[in-house]
Amino acid sequence: MIKEINVFGIFVPPLFAYAGGSALIWLALRRFLRWAGVYRGVWHPALFNTALYVLILSGCIVAVFHWDH
Amino acid sequence: MLASRTFRFVVTAIVVALAIAAGFFAWRLYVETPWTRDGRVRADVIQLAPEVSGAVAEVRVKDNQPVRKGDVLFVIDPERYRFALTQSEANVEARERELEQRRRELERRTRLSSAAITVEAREQAETAVGLAEAAYDEALAALNTARLNLDRTTVRSPANGHVTNLQVHVGDYAVSGKASLAVVNSDSFYVVGYFEETKLRNFREGDRAVVRLLGFPEEIEGHVESIARAIADRETVSGSGDLIANVNPTFSWVRLAQRIPVRIALDRVPDSVRLSAGMTATIVVHPQEGRTGRL
Repeated sequence: MIKEINVFGIFVPPLFAYAGGSALIWLALRRFLRWAGVYRGVWHPALFNTALYVLILSGCIVAVFHWDH
Repeated sequence: MLASRTFRFVVTAIVVALAIAAGFFAWRLYVETPWTRDGRVRADVIQLAPEVSGAVAEVRVKDNQPVRKGDVLFVIDPERYRFALTQSEANVEARERELEQRRRELERRTRLSSAAITVEAREQAETAVGLAEAAYDEALAALNTARLNLDRTTVRSPANGHVTNLQVHVGDYAVSGKASLAVVNSDSFYVVGYFEETKLRNFREGDRAVVRLLGFPEEIEGHVESIARAIADRETVSGSGDLIANVNPTFSWVRLAQRIPVRIALDRVPDSVRLSAGMTATIVVHPQEGRTGRL
């Protein structure tokens, strides 16, 4: 939904909400990947995690803009 | 070691490359999709000024009251204008008598032979009739004006709408031509979206638009009615001397896209939404297929 987000009376762009939602998904996914032992096959975990977050956030944005259009 | 060094590097590199590509695509989508948070609800606000001056005798509306076209809003003390009307009527009467007199004089003089009256005297009588006719017409016009003035002591609403910010009270002196009451035309609500100039190429007039008001879950359906064809250039100072350009020599490192007003006509407003001019809105335009730029 492309709409302003109300944070205690301060209205912020919807990107704020997508970033927050993506962070939650990212945290859960990271926990799962760690449990599955994927990080043993990763060269640089911090870089991998950042890339993972960008992928999730992009996915959220594309999904919202496609669904809203 | 489960995986070799090369395998680990390749896996990470692929994920990073994907993230860069996806991030770029998503950013373009976010920045170039025609939507804006900078929308305002607007309406035509009619500033009503009485056509005649006088003390306000009666205010027949309350603040924010809905009014229909032709409803009486307030009445200016009509006594003075009633007397003026009587005066004009008396004046018409006088001019009429005068005209009759002059006509009788002319009639008598035309009947006299040229031995008894000079040509000049007859001419003067004809002119006197003409002057009296003109004076009579003038008095009639003044009578109509007086009637109109009396009629205009009652100030009526020129449109369906709502009285807003009512500041007129009984006893106030209303000055003719000075706005004293505003009516918001309720048939004229529209939304203006200030779109960044970078987003303009992705939509055209007639495209469907969805308006979301701050704090209302309902959506308002609309369409792009028109796009402003001019905004002020902030880099030049107009009205400078010698008719030459006066360009501001600043160049900002950080630049912001300018905003172009786009007028959105509202097609269907849900009954639960009560619009007030000035409300903030988020606008999402849905361009017709095949018209989007590079998206």
